[in-house]
Amino acid sequence: MKKLLLATLVGLFLLPALLGALELKISGEMWNRWTLEQGKVFADTSLTAYKKEITKNFFSLERGYVGMEAKFSQSMKGRFTVDIFSSDILKDGAGLKLKYAYLDFSNLIPIPDLTTTVGLQKVYFGSIYDWSYNLIGKAPTDEYKYANSADYGISLNGYLPGGWGEYQLGIYNGEGYKNYGSNLKDNIDPAFLANLRIVPTAGLTIGGSVMTNGSERKLKLADATENSSYNTQLLADGILRAAFGPLDIWAEYLYKDISYAPNFSAKDYSATCFSVFPTLKLKSLIGADIDLQGRYDRSDETRMPDSKKKNLLNAWTGGLNFNFMADDSGSPALQAQLNYVRKDYDEDASGTDYANGKKDTDTVMLQLKWRFASTIY
Amino acid sequence: MNKKYIIVALILLLAISFAVAKSRKITCSGSTTVLPIAQATAEAYMDKHPDVNISIRGGGSGVGIAALQNGSADIANSSRVMKAKEVSQAKSKGINPTPYAVALDGIAIVVHKSNSVANLSIAQIRDIYNGKIKNWSEVGGPKLPIVVISRDVASGTFEVFNEKALGGSKVVSSAQLLASNNAVASTVGSTPGGIGYIGLGYLTEEIKTVKVNSITPNTKTVQDGSYPLARKLYMYTNGKAKGDLGSYIAFIQSDAGQKIVVEQGFIALK
Repeated sequence: MKKLLLATLVGLFLLPALLGALELKISGEMWNRWTLEQGKVFADTSLTAYKKEITKNFFSLERGYVGMEAKFSQSMKGRFTVDIFSSDILKDGAGLKLKYAYLDFSNLIPIPDLTTTVGLQKVYFGSIYDWSYNLIGKAPTDEYKYANSADYGISLNGYLPGGWGEYQLGIYNGEGYKNYGSNLKDNIDPAFLANLRIVPTAGLTIGGSVMTNGSERKLKLADATENSSYNTQLLADGILRAAFGPLDIWAEYLYKDISYAPNFSAKDYSATCFSVFPTLKLKSLIGADIDLQGRYDRSDETRMPDSKKKNLLNAWTGGLNFNFMADDSGSPALQAQLNYVRKDYDEDASGTDYANGKKDTDTVMLQLKWRFASTIY
Repeated sequence: MNKKYIIVALILLLAISFAVAKSRKITCSGSTTVLPIAQATAEAYMDKHPDVNISIRGGGSGVGIAALQNGSADIANSSRVMKAKEVSQAKSKGINPTPYAVALDGIAIVVHKSNSVANLSIAQIRDIYNGKIKNWSEVGGPKLPIVVISRDVASGTFEVFNEKALGGSKVVSSAQLLASNNAVASTVGSTPGGIGYIGLGYLTEEIKTVKVNSITPNTKTVQDGSYPLARKLYMYTNGKAKGDLGSYIAFIQSDAGQKIVVEQGFIALK
């Protein structure tokens, strides 16, 4: 496994040079995290009463991204990013996962500022594609399983003239980047995506995304019976961002509609999520490069047909980022993040799986993140 | 009693912090072409306004624009117009990029001083940079292989050259990509078969400027736009420049500022 990892890395890094790239850039980031979580566990062997207890207390390397960007011509460039992660599940205690691997063509379609992207790439849905992890947690779309952050496909990425915004149209597998090869289910329905962000005035952004997808293989099984797991999904997202002076507030609304085949339509349901995440940048106020972060999520899955699993989550996050160092463009190169997250499932609206607050948690995370980027030639 | 002391201390701390944050400092970042203009005008401005501190960094137009977007620079020096993508990204972060033209420039095509070639057409320049023309003898010069020297992609000079001379076509893979105008001038000056492109402010005795489409880059041809590789140089600010920032940019655009622009080898706006 180690040899395979090494060979893969070396191969990926040599490939652009062998193909005669005009320019080669390398970048990477590492997230070293300490997690302390308090949850509820059974108080005794009767399995009826609960008590609060520390359930997680560990250090980890949550992400180890290493990426390379090769410019093959003025109109074509390629990028790949691998995620090196620690895992005690794997024999060698480490794994390698491809996160992005795509080519950008800026001259395939003669529309100004339009790029065609082919390969394993970002999914341009909601806030997931420009989520910069100012908070340690994932984007709501990712956290609550609305869409994957990356997938295999083709997309058109364009910018409106005069800086009025951006748009994307995409067709993807719909299974997400973690599914590949034989692990990729034989889902014959691709996912279709449309995304639009408008910036009517500096500081104000309004956006929305729509995505359709089929999941869990195909409707008809080999023996011509209907697949009870097969479902179609309609995903929608609305975004409002206001960035004025030191304050930057995002609000996001997510909607998911899951429909099963007529024989199984009793399983149909819809879910919603509302999130708001403000940032207060203190640098212009006190000089120190410190950002205060907040977040509130309300994830409503109370319409799930499974009465045990239905739930209504309220989650609050408070955090602080201290940027020790920045690169030439002002992006943090060395950053410490402290987050407190409280997850609280509504007792009345949630199912029995969430009763007695047994899935409620309080989590403290301290993360040291460092990034680098350099042009090799 | 103790609480009162703590509150007073906190108020004092905040007041000091605000005072520090409001010190009269201007930060510029970006284009290496605009760098000498920014440096020379900043020195002259600070001589007249000793209470204002202007710090200047290079890095390329792309780096300066990113710094303006991230709020780490007050001025992005750029040798090109901002792209739709950059404007959109800036606006979504609450930054309203506003351009101020500070000088005119011609991108000079330069060769080694021993090279006899005196004129190149835009088509010939494109073919040289595409790798179709490989020897100076193909354009009336000596029998000498051409060494193509270009700029890195963060460079605004490259972007303008790419648009106006190359028409977006590919630079030959053997080209040397250098990070600054000075590096290009120095490398061409020490390479007999070299060809490069630099801002007019970087011309030296060690290199020779060739005409483009039979037009010499000079004040007249750049100002009237007849030189094919003429361009404006910009300083971008977040919204309309006010206070010290507005005063500094107004100084650059004034007669006194434009005199410094000319002294640095560039061309005045009018």
